[in-house]
Amino acid sequence: MSRILCVDDEPAILRLLTLVLARDGHEAITAADARQAMAAFDGGAIDAVLLDLGLPDRDGLELIPALLHRAKVPIIAVTARGEVADKVAALDLGASDYVTKPFDGDELLARLRAVLRNAGSQVATDGLLAAGPLHMDLGRHTASLRGTPVSLTPKEFALLRALIEAGGRVATHAALLERVWGKAHRDDVEYLRVTIRALRLKLEADPSRPDLIRNEPGVGYRLVAN
Amino acid sequence: MNRPVAVSLEALVAVAAVAWATERLLPVLGLASSALLFLLPVLLASARGGLAPGLVTALAGAAAYNFFLLEPRFTFRVHELDNLVSVFVLGAVAVVTSRLASRLKAREAEALERARTSEQAAELSAVLAAGTPAAALDEGLALVARRYGTVRLLADGEPPDDAAFSSIDRAAAAWALHNGDCTGHGTQVMPAADWTFVPLAPKARRGSGVAAFARPAAGATRSEDELDQLRQVGLALGQARDRVVLEDERRERERLEERDALRRALLASLAHDFRTPLTVVIGRLELLARTQPEAQEALAAARRLDRRMTDLLGAARLEAGALAPTLEAVDLVDAVAAACDGIDLPADVALHRAIPADVPFVSADPVLLHHVLANLLDNALRHARAEVAIAAARTGDGVRLTVSDDGPGVPPDQRDAVFERFARGASGPAPADRSGGSGLGLAIVRGFAEAMGMTVTVETADSGGACFVLAMPVAPGAAS
Repeated sequence: MSRILCVDDEPAILRLLTLVLARDGHEAITAADARQAMAAFDGGAIDAVLLDLGLPDRDGLELIPALLHRAKVPIIAVTARGEVADKVAALDLGASDYVTKPFDGDELLARLRAVLRNAGSQVATDGLLAAGPLHMDLGRHTASLRGTPVSLTPKEFALLRALIEAGGRVATHAALLERVWGKAHRDDVEYLRVTIRALRLKLEADPSRPDLIRNEPGVGYRLVAN
Repeated sequence: MNRPVAVSLEALVAVAAVAWATERLLPVLGLASSALLFLLPVLLASARGGLAPGLVTALAGAAAYNFFLLEPRFTFRVHELDNLVSVFVLGAVAVVTSRLASRLKAREAEALERARTSEQAAELSAVLAAGTPAAALDEGLALVARRYGTVRLLADGEPPDDAAFSSIDRAAAAWALHNGDCTGHGTQVMPAADWTFVPLAPKARRGSGVAAFARPAAGATRSEDELDQLRQVGLALGQARDRVVLEDERRERERLEERDALRRALLASLAHDFRTPLTVVIGRLELLARTQPEAQEALAAARRLDRRMTDLLGAARLEAGALAPTLEAVDLVDAVAAACDGIDLPADVALHRAIPADVPFVSADPVLLHHVLANLLDNALRHARAEVAIAAARTGDGVRLTVSDDGPGVPPDQRDAVFERFARGASGPAPADRSGGSGLGLAIVRGFAEAMGMTVTVETADSGGACFVLAMPVAPGAAS
């Protein structure tokens, strides 16, 4: 049971979100514009935010850093325009994930579960990472799939680590490239594609029908380990 | 009184003064010094008045010298050669001085003329550079008209069809335009013309219009100098005209950009205005369908409506020219997986995927490619009886991706028409009740594909159904 702040200027959407969230036992706190959102946020005890990017009084994108500055809660951006640039901008500004209108209730709840689960610490103190069948030992630099050791190159290891640490959320191409290859290679998408392909050959049951590492066209990659 | 006469009279007075003074002072000055003093009026006269006053003064000086100073004094008789020499010297001084003076004067006049010309040119440039290009050109033309008489700009080199221009004028204008020479009155080329035509651009850029200057009134002719000035004026007017053209082009571009921005804003708000109520409808139906199965049908219809909305927006983007593909290396494994994830597969249709894990990366815009694949799959699913297959294979220098179904197929004579907007297969209804599409899906496929440098065609599948072929370029430097 979590308190979810829902920001949208359309009352019907807010009522729908309240009903959908209730399915998972969440409580919806609603706000119709940026000003109300800030006020409700300051009211405290918000566990996550569902933020529509098209607000009447302020660009929803601007609100992301403003909210995160007050408290580190996961934000899921809701876009109606379906513009990839909006999604990438929201993620780059610190949103944890996004959904596109019209959203699927099940999908929205799954995303919300993922971001709430990962709101806490990402790396276990003992340097062990796990996601579904995948296990990584950061200290020993080893990885295994369903208990079988997998040999990874340093780049593959770093990329898999970044994907697992994203905890089921989408990691943008630029964020992954910067993390694994450095700032200078933010735009070298081909590096990423080559290494993703190599990872899939080692991890996926059928590398031509990937199940584990999913691509969101134009946005980034998501590890779906459950 | 004209200047040489006035100068001569002054000089004669000076000669008289010198004669009077030397006559009195001869015992003190001596003959040689007194003779030298007669040079002064000659120098003055020839420097100020030129050759004629100089010679007059020289003769008068020689006569006075002879009469007042040479023995026998107060007679014009000449005893010795002395006097001839003095006349000759005074005359030579007059000639040399007057020539020097007149050369200096000519140079001064030239310099003044040059200064005046460059001042005029500077004034014209200043006028042509001030204010908006169009107003500056009008001002400049008015200034030129005040200086040189009637002037007209012929942008395409074609004189307007009025009585002011005779047939020889037209020929001269055409010559000026095509050869970049000055033609017509006052020039070497067709001087019989009434107008003078000068090109608006240097020879290297000839063909960009001419300026026409009317013949000066009262039978006057254009001098060589004036023609040179007209040539310069023509170039200056040409530059001003170019600025007007550039300014017009900039305005037009701005107008188009504004219109594009407006269209994009309209599309974005359309998307928002339709998606918000659709979200409510689909969301509520989803909740309803959890407990009441009959809501499923309404939910499916609402989802279809959403896809049609996406098609409409895609078509509007094509129409608005709002597509700006950003091409990058795309893995077809990713692209096909994302497209397959996004479809609702009917229970009675099987989807076969045959994308080799090592297919070369293709050069594509990932978002546009996603729309293309989603629409091709959607189209195939609507026509399939039991099977849809998506496959990719490397060809010579590209990748061939096929989406095929086992439906009725597309007859050869309709293979181009299916990609047109609102085209519908004429080969009977789809086998299952999967309702028609928007008639836009395949038009979007072709529009988006072509924007990315791909081609899309339709063939007959082995099963007899339709097989859509997307031929895409391999990404540069892509490893296979």
